[in-house]
This record gives sequence, C-alpha cells and structure tokens, in this order.
Amino acid sequence: MNVIELSHIHKSFGSFAIQDLCLTVPRGTICGLVGENGAGKSTTIRLLCGALRPDSGTASVLGVDVSSPEFQAVKEDIGVVLDEAYFPEILNAVQVGKIMASTYHRWDSGVYEGYLRRFDLPEKKPFRDYSRGMRMKLAIAVALSHHPKLLVLDEATAGLDPIVRDEILDIFNEFTREEDHSILISSHILSDLEKLCDYIAFLHDGRLLFCEEKDRLLEKYGIFSDTTAQLECLLPEAIVAREPNGYGGVRALVRRELAPAGWQLERASVEDIILFLVKGAKNA
Amino acid sequence: MKALLMKDCFVLWKQLRLFIFVMLVITVFNGEFGNVFIVIWAAMLPYTSMAYDERSKWDQLAAMMPYSVRDIVLSKFLLGWLCAGAAALFALVCQLLQTVLGSPLAAFDPLSNLIGLCGSLCVLSITMPMMFRFGVERGRLTMFLLIFLVCGAAGALGTVVVDGEGPARLPSLLMVVLPIAAVILTAISIPLSQRFYRQKMG
Repeated sequence: MNVIELSHIHKSFGSFAIQDLCLTVPRGTICGLVGENGAGKSTTIRLLCGALRPDSGTASVLGVDVSSPEFQAVKEDIGVVLDEAYFPEILNAVQVGKIMASTYHRWDSGVYEGYLRRFDLPEKKPFRDYSRGMRMKLAIAVALSHHPKLLVLDEATAGLDPIVRDEILDIFNEFTREEDHSILISSHILSDLEKLCDYIAFLHDGRLLFCEEKDRLLEKYGIFSDTTAQLECLLPEAIVAREPNGYGGVRALVRRELAPAGWQLERASVEDIILFLVKGAKNA
Repeated sequence: MKALLMKDCFVLWKQLRLFIFVMLVITVFNGEFGNVFIVIWAAMLPYTSMAYDERSKWDQLAAMMPYSVRDIVLSKFLLGWLCAGAAALFALVCQLLQTVLGSPLAAFDPLSNLIGLCGSLCVLSITMPMMFRFGVERGRLTMFLLIFLVCGAAGALGTVVVDGEGPARLPSLLMVVLPIAAVILTAISIPLSQRFYRQKMG
C-alpha cells in the first residue's frame, strides 16, 4: 500500500506551476523531497496535506482522497512539522500541549511531556523566547505526540546546528521502526537525506524529475574525474553533466550502465547526483 | 473548535487584563456612550487574535491539522460574540452597582446595552469577511472606517439618551432594526467568511 499517491497534479500560481506531478511513497518508508528554492516542495506538501486544492489531478494520503470530507479524520494520523513552528509566539509549551490535547483525539500528554523533558524545553517560557532549535523541537514534540502514522516534514531541520540535527534524525529513525510509520521529508541538507531516506524524489521547476530508491540511485551514477580527452571517449548519453575539476581536468556525473566495463568511477553522493542533474537540466 | 477558542483565549489573556481595566474606566465615567462603546470594542478582539495568527503563520499550520474551515471561521465569530456578550454583562453589572451605590455617574440602562450588543454583532459581521479575505493589515482599514462611524453613532446615541428622559426616548426604530440587522448580517457573513478564507488559503 502507498501512504502517499499524487497523480497528475497541476497547480498554477501564475508565474509558477506544479506540472503533472505523480509521486508515490510506499508505506513504511522514508522519502526525501529535494529541489532548489521555489522548486515546489512546500507546495507539494501543502497539496498532500489538503491545505491547497490542486487545479487538476488527484491526491490521496493513507488511502483517502485529500479532497474528500473523510480526509479531515485522516489528518489525525499525520504529524506535520514545517520550516518554523508556526504557533502564536505568546504561547508556552504547556499551553500548546493543552490546545493540541483538544485538537487530536489520540493526543498523549505523557508522550508530549516526555519529549519536553528529553528536549529540555522550558514549559512556562513563552515560545517567542525559544531559540530556533527549541522551536523546532517543540514542533516535533507536537507532531509525534498524537501517534501519527505519517510524518510530513518541510525543511524541519533547516538552520539547526549539526548536533541538534543529528538528535532529530535519530528521532525520525526511531519513528520508522514501526512498520506502518512513514515519513516524507523535504530538505536542502542532502547529507541528512542520504543518511535517513529510502527514496529520493527530485523536483525541479515544478516537475518531478525522478523518484527512486536511494540505493538504486547511488548504483546508477558514478563520478568521473580525469582529463577531458578521456571523458570524450564515453558515449555522449553516458554523461549527465560536467564541470571543471579545478586541476585542469573535468569532473562529470556518469551513468554507470553506459560506461565501459573496468572504468574507474567514484561513488556519487546524493548531493553530487542532484547538483549535476540541476546543472544538466540548466544546460539542456 | 474548543482547541481554537482555547488558543485565542491564551493569546488574548495578557491583553485582557489591561482591556478589563480600560473597560472599567470607560463604562464608569462615560455612561451610555461607554456602555455601547466597550461592547463594540470587545467584539473586535478576534482581530487581535487574527493578527497574532498571521504573524506566526498559524493559518498555514492549522490548514494541515484536523480543523475544518468552518471551525476556524466560526471560532473567530464565537470569540467575538463571547467578548461582546461578556462586555455587555460587565457594563450592565458596573452600571447596576453604580446605581445601587447612588453614584451621580450611574447610567443603568439595559436597553443601551442591548443596542450596543446588536451593534457590535453588526460590526463584527461586516468586518469579519474582509479580515478573512484581505488579512488583518488591510482589513483593518475598513475596520477603522467603521470605528469612526460607530463612535459617531454611539456618541449621538449617548446624547439622545442623556439629554432625553431615558430609554423611552430611544428611537424605537433602532430597537427593532438593530437586532434584525444583526441576525441577517451574521447569517450572510459566516458563509461569506468561509468562502473568502478558502480562497485565501488556495
């Protein structure tokens, strides 16, 4: 079963549009949504959470059509963390807990208080006096305290220091130990996604360029770094994009299956693949 | 809905203490005008909470939580009604106490409270759709225009009551028209606000 299914979604905002977006995320997996600023990641997240209505196409989450009245109940199973906490800044953690207890039927005060202690969040301090890390931790505590089946995270780790980010990634990993728990996470920090995700979906200019298993993606591409003359020996379709390597040579993203056997290719990271694909798309 | 009202109460709580003090001063020293004015002023408290919501982008998060558009819109109306009702009751009790204590400033007049309450519901119904459509910043312009009109009307009304011989001299037309107008405007305003809110959220 797919936890998220977006089918031929179109959404136009005048100068920008999500075009023919088809995306599926299997249950029990972590999918990373990557793309440049303005590529449509947040719009995609808003569409699948029912906060935006598509111009055409269908979206379903946890098996229920997002535009149907039944989706209101499904929102109980979705934990959302956006790039900011978005609670009125005059509130404190205790007040946020009380509001959420009246919002979610399955709100678990014990779990929430446990996260407040674990994250060392002051209970009575107004939210406006929290640091960015503390704000995000509060948002994560809220998202996890109503026993969701799907976590939707939009730049939830942006602007956090590496230690806090690592701590938060551990929590997300803990969350997916339950086999019916899934995560959709958008982030600019590709190294985090490489650590965490099973699938990588890449949005560029409102279009989904690919959604693939991370391991398959890493197997598919390799990095070539040598002279231009040697690179030219390759089939043109084997080269995705290239750049000067800084030593008079060239560095390129290469499709392994089209490279001759025995060619030495370095392992490409998700970051390498995405950066080269963006360059390739721009040069095309 | 309960959660949304609770959030607004938490947000407004600190301001409410100052607000109650100002209400007390206005209602004690301004007679009928004060009675009408504070009720209309109280009905505008939802805009303060909407301003906080906008500043924190709460609406974006709320759209992803299990709140319906109906709940979000109705909670703001309900907050306005509760605030206006509480202010009307507060003014009534204050004036009653002043009358019992024989204060020369006493202006116990339940009918002016009723007029204030109905007027506040009309103001709320007229301004709320604009707040949902344009946001608090731009919607406020309309609100200020209305405040000037309402203050002028309340002042004129206060003069009629003070100069006249009590509620018997109140324009009877107003007593009939305002409650009916409040009901009709509210019935139009709620679905319109829901529509505008949906449009704003995309």
